[in-house]
Amino acid sequence: MTGTRRVRVSSPQTRIALARGVRGVRRPLPLPGPADPALARRVFVAQRRAAVRTVALLALVLFGTSGLIAALPVLDRLTVGGVPLSWLVLATATYPLLLLIAAWHVRAAERTEDRLRPPSAPTGDGPGRPARDGRR
Amino acid sequence: MTGLLAIGFLIAASLAIGVYGVRAARTTPDFLVASRRVGGGWNAMAIAGEYVSAASVLGLAGLLLKDGIGTMWYAVGFTAGYVAVAALVAGPMRRSGAFTVPDFAEYRLASTGVRRLCGLVVLVIMWLYLVPQFKGAGVVLQLVSGTPYWVGVVLAGLVVSGSIAMGGMRSATYVQAFHYLVKLAFIAVPAVFLVVRAGAETRARALEPVTVPDGWSRPLLDIGDAGYPLLSTWSVLLATTLGAVGLPHVVMRFHTSASARAARRVAVMVIALLGVFYLFPVVYGLFGRVLTPHLVHQGATDTVAVVLPGEVAPGTLGGLLTALVAAGAFAAFLSTSSGLLLALAGGLSHDLFGSGLSRLRLAVAAGAFVAVLLSLPAAHVDINVMVGWAFAVAASTFCPLLVLGIWWPRLTLPGAVCGLVVGGVSATGAALASVAGTYASGLLTVLLAQPAAWTVPLAFATMVGVSLRWGSPPEGATRAVLRLHAP
Repeated sequence: MTGTRRVRVSSPQTRIALARGVRGVRRPLPLPGPADPALARRVFVAQRRAAVRTVALLALVLFGTSGLIAALPVLDRLTVGGVPLSWLVLATATYPLLLLIAAWHVRAAERTEDRLRPPSAPTGDGPGRPARDGRR
Repeated sequence: MTGLLAIGFLIAASLAIGVYGVRAARTTPDFLVASRRVGGGWNAMAIAGEYVSAASVLGLAGLLLKDGIGTMWYAVGFTAGYVAVAALVAGPMRRSGAFTVPDFAEYRLASTGVRRLCGLVVLVIMWLYLVPQFKGAGVVLQLVSGTPYWVGVVLAGLVVSGSIAMGGMRSATYVQAFHYLVKLAFIAVPAVFLVVRAGAETRARALEPVTVPDGWSRPLLDIGDAGYPLLSTWSVLLATTLGAVGLPHVVMRFHTSASARAARRVAVMVIALLGVFYLFPVVYGLFGRVLTPHLVHQGATDTVAVVLPGEVAPGTLGGLLTALVAAGAFAAFLSTSSGLLLALAGGLSHDLFGSGLSRLRLAVAAGAFVAVLLSLPAAHVDINVMVGWAFAVAASTFCPLLVLGIWWPRLTLPGAVCGLVVGGVSATGAALASVAGTYASGLLTVLLAQPAAWTVPLAFATMVGVSLRWGSPPEGATRAVLRLHAP
């Protein structure tokens, strides 16, 4: 962070909303659509597939581990090193898997973005721009 | 006395870091989301610091002592929430440029009415979430200094609103990152000490499954001993996981990342930080069952983490460790309430009553005042239970709004409004009904105390069903959705 000059940015919607004040006059929303709709569509579909997969995995881990513990009461009686097996399942089958799933999703999402990036957009930044650009 | 000194020192340090951030906070964006140049590691720590609330530091250990090992599913759900956040909302929300959920609703649905409605929902969630934080402050201060409960509540309200009104989010980022470290150190050091000092016999007893109370050692959440452990567990998991997606102060946090890509990565870092932290409340819960079982009968299980060190090591050392945990707990609700109060103030001024920095500061004070009033009669409600309700309401309102708004171009204004109202009213109503009475049917008890199992599907179904039947998607909806995913 050191050495980087701070740039003040703000959201276009917020500036519009602020400028609109309390009078509530409707204006069309300011954000332009993507430059290449066909490409954007492909990105969207790929990202949606990754998101569905990740959420399904997440559900499998959460409902699977708790379901396993519920379905097999014998896990409460078996012990490993004095600790009930069901406690170990709760502790070890959840957190590491959650981290793995999330890391895997981020990798997939970033690969999609790299693969389908339009040539004119070199960075992945959002619509934030220096605030003074937004004055009308 | 040591406890008071430690808390005093913590408040002073937080204020000092807060004041350091004041100089830069001059505009509304600065105030609300800091500048977008907060580094990734700092940001992840600040998010974790804000997220690890009194519910995690005090509430988890307390509920574990009271209800058993199954309580750890709360922690799993709190963490799993960030997987859902990384997968579903972090990147697109950052690209939308909307600071708050109401901002996003207006962007996506082109209506100022829905913005106001969202502002109202923000208030409900934030107050539900703030009350247990202030309760934690009151309880801890009472424990270490003997002051009445209300003194801690009022003091917490003053300190939090004071520092926020001065510095806003810019200062909050550093304060919260600092607080994550404080919390981790102050809960970990006494916990390690407990494990070492307690002796082999106590350690073995802590890990031994017990039969009384029935089901304590079974790692499932049987709410109210109603006999539906798997349903209760799944309902809590749904509420905590999807609630994280819809919590206004969590969503707001991702705008402090430099890009959508960075926002996603930060979410993954947060999972690691939370996983490390949640190891420690288990220690207090397990040892609490062996060493301080009387807390259950006194209805004071939320204090177990503060009481335990003194039980194991009477005298100066125990006092010092108690002071550490107390300061850690104070850090917990200072940082969480800072973020909550800011989101609350944003809802009040930005979305409901027009904007401006002076109004925002007024809104901070007003929001804190109401939260303090609500906290005064809440001394005996479990911290974790109240936080669970905040998550359930968020999961039943903003989670479907954001997920469908980001991933489903056909969402219409009537669909979103009906879903928000149905989800909000059912989840809040169930929580209120659960406090108001006891019910003969075990199934009903579970479904009211942990409503997410039915309110979340209901809210999603309402949004989708009404959108398909009434209204058409706002003009340019497809374009707006595609833009959220464009690299």
